[in-house]
Amino acid sequence: MSGTRTESRLWNLVAELTYRCPLRCPYCSNPLALRDFPEALGAGDWARVFREAAALGAVHVGLTGGEPTTRRDLAEIVAAAAEAGLYTHLVTAGLPLDAAGLRALQGAGLRSVQLSVQDAEAADSDAIAGAACFERKLAFAREVRGLGLPLTLNVVLHRRNLGRVRELIALARALDADRLELANAQYQGWALANRAALLPARAQLDAAAAVVAEERAKGARPELLFVLPDYFRERPKPCMGGWARTHLVVTPDGRALPCHGAAELPLEFWNVRERSLAECWREAPGMNAFRGEAWMQEPCRSCPERARDFGGCRCQAFALAGDAAATDPACALSPRHALVAAAHEEPRTDSWRYRAPSER
Amino acid sequence: MSAEGDSKRSAQRAEGERSDEAGFEQRLRRILDERYHHRHPFNVRLHGGRCTEGEVRRWIRNRYYYQTRIPLKDGLILTKSEDREFRRGWIRRIHDHDGDDARTGGLELWLRLAEAAGLERADVASLRGVLPGVRRACDAYVEFVASHDLLESVASSLTELSAGPFLGERAEAFRKHYGWIEESGLEYFLSRTTQAPRDAAEGLAYVLAHARTPADQERCAAALLRKCEILWALLDGVEWGGRTPRLAPAALVREEGAESVVVLPERAVRISVSGREVLAACDGRRSVDGVAAALRERHPEGESVERDVYDFVERMEGLGVLTHAAPSGAERRAP
Repeated sequence: MSGTRTESRLWNLVAELTYRCPLRCPYCSNPLALRDFPEALGAGDWARVFREAAALGAVHVGLTGGEPTTRRDLAEIVAAAAEAGLYTHLVTAGLPLDAAGLRALQGAGLRSVQLSVQDAEAADSDAIAGAACFERKLAFAREVRGLGLPLTLNVVLHRRNLGRVRELIALARALDADRLELANAQYQGWALANRAALLPARAQLDAAAAVVAEERAKGARPELLFVLPDYFRERPKPCMGGWARTHLVVTPDGRALPCHGAAELPLEFWNVRERSLAECWREAPGMNAFRGEAWMQEPCRSCPERARDFGGCRCQAFALAGDAAATDPACALSPRHALVAAAHEEPRTDSWRYRAPSER
Repeated sequence: MSAEGDSKRSAQRAEGERSDEAGFEQRLRRILDERYHHRHPFNVRLHGGRCTEGEVRRWIRNRYYYQTRIPLKDGLILTKSEDREFRRGWIRRIHDHDGDDARTGGLELWLRLAEAAGLERADVASLRGVLPGVRRACDAYVEFVASHDLLESVASSLTELSAGPFLGERAEAFRKHYGWIEESGLEYFLSRTTQAPRDAAEGLAYVLAHARTPADQERCAAALLRKCEILWALLDGVEWGGRTPRLAPAALVREEGAESVVVLPERAVRISVSGREVLAACDGRRSVDGVAAALRERHPEGESVERDVYDFVERMEGLGVLTHAAPSGAERRAP
């Protein structure tokens, strides 16, 4: 085992409970080819995965999807995660779960909630979500805070809503959110397919960054997260905190992945239905493909920043450069950086392709 | 061009400068009226008799750090002037604080105030209890003077314009509300009620004489505003010491051998053994001051117990591990 491999410790399990979702956001991080299969992992399988994750050191579980609250056995799954000693965090669109369902989840051991909104007001938010859901989301946020659960609001930012950052912060304050993630779209999967409709102009981002700085000075709440997207920076993002280093994603059908996008890469990952989570995490060839630094090409291999950004995002390298081991083209030092630079010059469009409906 | 025309123009110019000078001075005084720390909620409570004994002591102990910075910044100002007369005048400020053969200086008078308030001289003089926000604010003042020119540095000292009457009021407030502090301790305030107006008049005359262009005046106004912000931040720092931190309700603490991990929504924070001890003392009743005192009691030989506690509590607040209820009536922002 290489020295660097021992650096990895699983901290955060991302449990993708389903790919079903009532929303159709054009930047969905679920696979482009949505597999039309039932959730292969039942509540009992998830309970085993949670116990094994905790034994590997995980402290957090993000219950996500798709929309996790489409699962009827969610309370059972939450209870199993809490039982395993994990900090249970629900990542939801706020529907179809109702107030009674939310209370039941809290009773089962749910500790915190992240709610997505798509924009600061109903018509535009619903237009992005591809479903009428904004009012329900607001009610859901109030239910979360009413139960005393910590609330994170998450908004994916792109050229259609970047001008609304001030209103979004005001909304987060009005809903008494603890934290607002202003998450710039990452151009993979659906977002890459819709890039011409989503990629903002530099000036939009700068204006939004200025608003965030102003609003931060107004007080500690909510905590505001805003990071310039990698397309607009000289260096790539430290994707997932390093490949298979701290995060592990388990998909609805049981594949153990280092991130939700990794299934698109030509790598061999293992399935928790066939092996223990520890084996899937430690030994799967795909997991070890980019652990540590041995896989790096130049300019990463000798770059002093490799310990900070881990060479960027492997999925982005594969999607843009066709080589998952390449330096992330978002990095200005990448020989393929022109691929990202060119995206800024592409003509923009106002229409996008919604995520394919996934309700069966 | 006639000589008559020339003198007429220069008379007009002099007239213009005078009115401009008056406007400039008004502007400086308006900054003080709006932004000087007499409006800070802590000061309002201090002068209104609404501070506890602990709060008054905390203020005295922390403000001493500011007193120690004054001679340093005045020394920096001396190095900026080529004018012997200016230096002869300004060096007096250092003597005022450090004292000389003839009189007791402001630093010594402040330590007497501390003793009169029941604090230990050596403890206060050691600066070990100085809160981090206070330290940052005071250091920022010295850094400001180090990195700005003579005119801006002198302009930043013009908070003295407000200090004279302010300190008279303070002495009165202490007599009236904090009778447990012996009268002998108030000598500092009384000495400054005469020194500050003299210093202020000299500083103002210098600034009015040397800030000749709108750009200079702009720089002076900004310097004075910055100084007001520093004094304000100092009192914010004092208030912080009165917060009563406790573990965030959303936190889950996990033991991992000698270490602990505090788990929060979307965040996990490793805590060392010594951090654990501080966290345990943060019970929502003890103030930050009180937490430091409790740890000091347990580690009497520790070199930097207070500083370590403060740094840890600040860091944990920033990460959301610790929360606190703000002290009553404490509004955190400048008007």
